[in-house]
Parts: sequence; structure tokens; C-alpha cells
Amino acid sequence: MKIYLNSLKLYFKSQLEYKKSFITGLLSQILIMFTYYFIIIALFDKFDNIKGYTKYEVLLCFAIIQFGFSITETFARGIDVFENLIIRGEFDRLLLRPKNILLQVLSSDYDLIKISRVIQAIIILIISLIKLNIKFNIYKIITISLILISSITIFFSIFLLMASYCFITVQGLEVKNLFTDGGKQIAQYPISIYNKHFIFIFTFLIPYAFVNYYPLLYLLGKSNNKIYVLSPLIVFIYLIPSILSFKWGIKKYTSVGS
Amino acid sequence: MSFINVNHISKTFKVAKRERGLLASLKSFFKREYIYIDAVKDISFEIKKGEIVGYIGPNGAGKSTTIKILSGILTPDSGNCKIGGMTPWLEREKYVSNIGVVFGQRSQLWWDIPAIDTFDLLKDIYNLSDKEYEETKNNLIKLLDIEEIVKIPVRQLSLGQRMRCEIAASLLHKPSILFLDEPTIGLDAVSKKIVREFIQKINKEQKTTVILTTHDMSDIEALAKRIILIGKGRILYDGNIHSLKQKFGNIKNINVDTKDTIKKINKKGIITQKKIDEGYLFQIDTNILSISNFLKYLSEITNLEDVDIENESIDDLIIKLYKEFSI
Repeated sequence: MKIYLNSLKLYFKSQLEYKKSFITGLLSQILIMFTYYFIIIALFDKFDNIKGYTKYEVLLCFAIIQFGFSITETFARGIDVFENLIIRGEFDRLLLRPKNILLQVLSSDYDLIKISRVIQAIIILIISLIKLNIKFNIYKIITISLILISSITIFFSIFLLMASYCFITVQGLEVKNLFTDGGKQIAQYPISIYNKHFIFIFTFLIPYAFVNYYPLLYLLGKSNNKIYVLSPLIVFIYLIPSILSFKWGIKKYTSVGS
Repeated sequence: MSFINVNHISKTFKVAKRERGLLASLKSFFKREYIYIDAVKDISFEIKKGEIVGYIGPNGAGKSTTIKILSGILTPDSGNCKIGGMTPWLEREKYVSNIGVVFGQRSQLWWDIPAIDTFDLLKDIYNLSDKEYEETKNNLIKLLDIEEIVKIPVRQLSLGQRMRCEIAASLLHKPSILFLDEPTIGLDAVSKKIVREFIQKINKEQKTTVILTTHDMSDIEALAKRIILIGKGRILYDGNIHSLKQKFGNIKNINVDTKDTIKKINKKGIITQKKIDEGYLFQIDTNILSISNFLKYLSEITNLEDVDIENESIDDLIIKLYKEFSI
């Protein structure tokens, strides 16, 4: 962990070498994200609700997914751009160091510009929670905490799974976007607005539903079933195949010529 | 038992076969054919503690693959290897804290910040205590003369300066084995000299075992007494560089300065005769024609102003070796 934090410090230091680019990066990220939020707000100018979801419920859902995605993009960029490590042969270097490989991959790169997205997501999240007038009790606090943690976990797992895929081939990584960006785009809205097949996919194949559907039912008072409080924990099971496949990939690794 | 024991190591890579043309590319997109390349085949050698070994061979001979296997990056398909009692690819984390690796073509330093910051990070990676870290670091900085250099962002350094920092970074944890993969590639004469002298020094003082791959034969001449020659994945020669020279050192280059014109001499033992600026360059085989006989004959037919006798360069020697083994 110390290594991760120290690397982060170094990364920050090297970012400061390019001050202007860093600041314009931050600003442009903020602008991009605002357009997303504006689209939702504009949508609700025309319609009162989408399949029973109000403006702030949708925004809440949106913020939850953005939060998890942006945190992962910021702090786990090493696995997001893992193919670069393989292509440039830098992965060899990691194998030469007496530390856990995954930890080293995580320490290899960051994307601090995306932190602006995290902050925005938090702001929207708080506004939505206030506007929705949710009466917080201990259960609801646990629910929202687990939701946020599981949102990070699910993206971390997907990123890691896609990183493992790089061990097989570094080409054709478009499939990666299908799961990360594509999945994110869909999951930003409450999953029940889609048809049944989607709900099946997002419950059993990629468990987005355990991040922003089942627990939200409880949080928003659409259901009183307490089992939904702990439902985000299901997402953690998803970590297991991701980590295992990554380990398997390391074993299969064949390096590149020099 | 030797410090490094390599026994019958083989490694095969599976490579997708590609043919020319768009159609073939399209075809291979759907149905790939693979060819298998033996990167290293049945390699065995032993290295004693404190030895410097030059590991040489043409491009694609399997040098880097061997280094990668020995350093635990790759797992061989068959064979085994014990280094300091450990099998590199099985006990990776424990093993690698004992080795240092410098890849001449790849950097391990953070690009945008001074090298000293990377050093600090390595301190944590290798779990070094403050005291031993400071001591080793200061010593390396002094030996490699990088006091000022380590404070400049790496991207602003020249290649030679950077390479010195790379070497320092690889030795902070005082490894007992140092792998150098083309450490002098692209360096100027001064930097080369610093790097070589440094390698000699740590080998002498800390008994560091050094395995060195290079295409620069003067590196080998300056550093290694023993060379292992590899070609097409097999070991072709393993032994003393001196005896190699004796075995193949029968060729001499003789540079003759004269104003006269010498016609083509038909004599056994003369391999080539070339007109150059001030005279002629002869290459003779001393097993057939001795130098004194050659000069005697030459002085009879022409007026010699100056004669320069050179051993065949080690580069030519290596080329000859490659030829002999047809690699």
C-alpha cells in the first residue's frame, strides 16, 4: 500500500511538470460531464418520469455509476491501460520486482484528471439525495455506503477481467469498451426501464443490477425488503473470477522481443 | 556446486504465420496457422560466483529469452535452473530481490521526474532500511558520478547519463547477480568507459556475478574473460575468450605503406589484397604463410615505407564464428 501511495505521489509530481495540460484536462473533463447531466435535466423538462423514475432518482443512479467508474479510472488506470504495459514490454520490469504484481500494475499509472468527474459525481449524488428527501436511518446509510463501494468494485472487476484478456491478445480490445463504456452507459439509468432480457444480463452476467437497481429499490422506498440492503455484496463475488483470470494470465505470459 | 546452474532449458514460442497481401491477411484473420520457433533449445551452462560472462550471439539467437528465463520473467517449457539454490520462475518474489537487471533498450526510471525519486520508490519496493539505502545510494552516486544528474528530470538526460542512472537503480538493493542486456547500446565512448569501469569495480569489490549480453565486442574484451556464444537457440561455444582468439587468431591484417604499385600477388596464404590510400592492405593466414616470410617477399619486390600489423578484430572473429556454425 505504501508503494501505491508513493507512486501516486510521484505521478502527481510528474503531472505538475505539465501544469497547463493538467489544468486544461481537468476543465475539459468538467465540461464533458456537465453535458451529460444537462441531457438528463433537459429530458425531464419534457417528461415527468421515466417508467416511474423521477428526475432526481435518475440523477442519483447516474451519479452512483459515474462515481464508481471515475474512481476506478482515476486510481486503477494501471489495469485500464494494461495493454500498454504488455506492448511496451514494461510488464517484464514488474516481474523483476519482489512485490505483488497486481499492486505494481495499479501503481504503474493513474489518471488524476478524472478526479474532477469523481467530485462532480459526489456533488450530484448529494444534491439528489437531498432533493429526494430520503429519511436516513442506519439501514439506508449502510445501503448507500455499500452501493458506492460495490460501484467501485464492479468497475474494478471488469477492468481487471479486460486486463487479463490482454494476456491472450493485445489486439481487438474494442470488446473491452463494450463492457466498460457500453455497460456504464446502460447502467447509468435505472435498469428496470429496459426490457427483461437486459435485466437478466445485468443481474447474472455483469451484476450492475446489484449496484443500482436492487439496493436502490430499498433506498428510494420502493420496497421494504431488508435483503436489498446487503444485495450490493453480491458484486464482490464478481472479483473472484477477475483475480483468478489475471493470475492465470501472468502464468501464461510470454513477453515480447527486445 | 556452481552459483548458477542451467540444465537443458528449452523454450518454444508459438507465432502466427502471416503471408503477404491483403487476401492472405484476411484469410489468416479467420484461420490462423501457427509456426513454432525454438527460441532456446537444450541450453546448459554453469557460472561461478563472481564471474563476468559475456553472452553473445546474433539478433534473434535467444539471448534475451535466456536472460528472461534466468531472471524469472519467462517459464521454460522444459529443463531446470537453480540460481543460488532457487528456481527463478517458481520463487519469483524471493528470487528477484537478489538480482538486478538492466535492459539497455528499456527504462525503469520515471520519465518526467528526477531519477532520485525513482530511487526512493525502489527503496520501498525492495524493503531497504534507511541506513543501508542511504549508504548504497551514496556509494553508487559517487562511483557513477551522477551527483548532479539524479536531480534532473530523466527525460532531459542524455542517453549516457540516463544509462548510468539505470544501472544505479538496478543495484540499490545490492543484488548478487547483475544481468545487463546491451548496457552500452548507443552510448558514446566516454559513457561506455564509465559503465565498463563501474561494472568491473562492483564485480571486484562486491563479488557481483555479471551476465552481459552485447553486440559490442569491445565490451566483451574489456569485461569478460569467458564468453558463451549462442546461435539459433543453441550454445555454440562456451569458454575463454583468449583461447577463442588463439583458435581463430591466425588471420592478420597487414597494412603496407608504399608509393610503388604492387601487382596482384599469387601466393598461398594471402587471403585478400586491397589498394588503399597510402598503400595496400593484406590479409594473410599465418598458418600457411608466416609474417616474416611475407614481409621478406614483399620487401624484395617493393620499397616499404611503413608496415602495420594488426590482429583480426574480435568483431571479424565473431562473424567468422557465426559463419562456421552457419547461423
